[in-house]
Amino acid sequence: MEKIIVRHRPANSRKKFIFNKLISIARYDLLGKESDKGYVFKLLMYVILIDTAFIYMRPVLYMATTMVKDAGSLLDPGVIWVPRTLYWGNLQDAFQLLKYPTSFTISVTVSLLISGLQVITCAVAGYAFARLEFPFKKFWFIALIFTFILPPQVIILPTILLFKQFNWLDTYLPMIIPAIFGHGLRGSLFVIIYRQFFSTQPKELEEAARLEGASVFRIFYRVMLPISSSAIIVVFLFSFVWNWNDSYFPTMYLFQAQDVPLSISSARLAAKLALEADQAGPSILAEPIKMAASFLIIMPVLIVYTFTQRWFVEGVGRTGMVE
Amino acid sequence: MKKKHILSSAALRKLEGSLFIAPWAIGFLAFVAFPLLYSFYMTFHQVKIIASGITYIWVGLQYYREILLVDGGLLYNDLLPFLKEMIMMIPIIVVFSLLVGILLNQKLFGRTFFRSIFFLPVIFSSGQVINEFISQGGGTLSFVERFNVVYYINTYLPEAWGAPIANLISSFVMVLWYSGMQIVIIIAGRQTIPASVYESARIDGAGSWETFWKITLPGLSPFIFLNLIYTVVDLFTFPENPIISKVNTSSYGISSALAWIYLTIVLSLLGIIFLIYNRVTKLTAGNR
Repeated sequence: MEKIIVRHRPANSRKKFIFNKLISIARYDLLGKESDKGYVFKLLMYVILIDTAFIYMRPVLYMATTMVKDAGSLLDPGVIWVPRTLYWGNLQDAFQLLKYPTSFTISVTVSLLISGLQVITCAVAGYAFARLEFPFKKFWFIALIFTFILPPQVIILPTILLFKQFNWLDTYLPMIIPAIFGHGLRGSLFVIIYRQFFSTQPKELEEAARLEGASVFRIFYRVMLPISSSAIIVVFLFSFVWNWNDSYFPTMYLFQAQDVPLSISSARLAAKLALEADQAGPSILAEPIKMAASFLIIMPVLIVYTFTQRWFVEGVGRTGMVE
Repeated sequence: MKKKHILSSAALRKLEGSLFIAPWAIGFLAFVAFPLLYSFYMTFHQVKIIASGITYIWVGLQYYREILLVDGGLLYNDLLPFLKEMIMMIPIIVVFSLLVGILLNQKLFGRTFFRSIFFLPVIFSSGQVINEFISQGGGTLSFVERFNVVYYINTYLPEAWGAPIANLISSFVMVLWYSGMQIVIIIAGRQTIPASVYESARIDGAGSWETFWKITLPGLSPFIFLNLIYTVVDLFTFPENPIISKVNTSSYGISSALAWIYLTIVLSLLGIIFLIYNRVTKLTAGNR
């Protein structure tokens, strides 16, 4: 139909028509048929995203570039980001000052142990909150929410005194034992995650198993746990990473211990460098060493993250935590 | 005979449930409820730790009086500026995560990459590392230094608000770093709004500006509420939070009293957030 009309038009009007057509194609492509689909809009969105992402990542880039600078590159005003030569000495110094092999082993063991425990114990509690009946359920649920919003600082001192009675201070027990009971670092959040996850699961499976006479323990172990792998992975990863990074509980419980996890080891390193700066004047290499230490702490979780980031980012939605 | 059997099966269910919750409940009593009451008890006592044990001397409300009225140092110089900072941080984090979350929900090339970048800080928001970044000036925005914004704030604003704002600006990036989890919550929440709603809005001739205010925002309101609460909880261990260093073993009584004052403030803040949320949901429900 269009073709016919065009053929019958005089040349001048035909040109105009093609021009108009081009304009409208260009307009559709640039601005989009919808206000959020054109190239201009996309371009704007990319500019915003890349800008914010850069601002967001600047400290990390700063860390990565500073730690490989030697004294020459640090003093050179022409060097802002990229150093003239790569210098690995800062990393070596930080490695030694952190007592990296010992601290690393402790961090890995303690975080793995706690996250392994929390994965199981929080699931048990979360399942009870989601599906089972027990006396004063409302009260316990309020207790769960209260535990979540309770600042750890309010209960830290009595907890220290309590663990002192058991002679557990300067050991890792104060961090591990609460995890056995489904508490510990952000344990309440994990219980909530599991509760949300289990309540979104269909009830038919359990009812079928119950009709066949299976006990609750069997249902939980054989029916519920196998289908909750996404929740388990999310809780495990978060628990591991948060326990790895946590410096608050270790500082409170391990103030005299010889061998400490990385988070404390780095605080001690910073204190040591500050002391040296007081005695011998500020050293220009203090900053790169601190940055190298930060890198050494971040690196292991970063490696975990590169392989599992899908779970971190999507898992939150998939566990139904937000419903 | 039959009735007895039914009763016992109901009782059995309760028993099984109790067994499941028992470890958590015991943990709650031992690691939350007991320390909580103990700490409340300590706020009224001078606690002395001696070789043979712990002695308590009743001091009544002395510690509260000291913190609130006599020596204002702890509360007014340390805690209050941070609380002011916190009141500014919470909206910044929540709005930032809302915008980034909605942006990252759009279909665009490299979406996974951007998502993982914005989530990255959750992975290494270790207190010590963030402290390092703040002290190296890694937290500021470059235009803040270039235009000397902090100087202007300090000269034109009253001291009571100037200092927290200047502090906030100088660690601004670190504040944004605390929105990783919230962004993910917004992304997940945005996916609960069905696409058909947007389609019908578009057919009715609504622009994207209108759809944002009329559909996206009301649909996301429970997640914004969740983010508000999560942010408050997350800031308990923000490395600049003075409560972390001020609650220490040097004086159990004063520290406990300070922690309880902090708890009261936090609970009232959460209460206010909850009331506002209730109000807002009622209002939007009325409009529909």
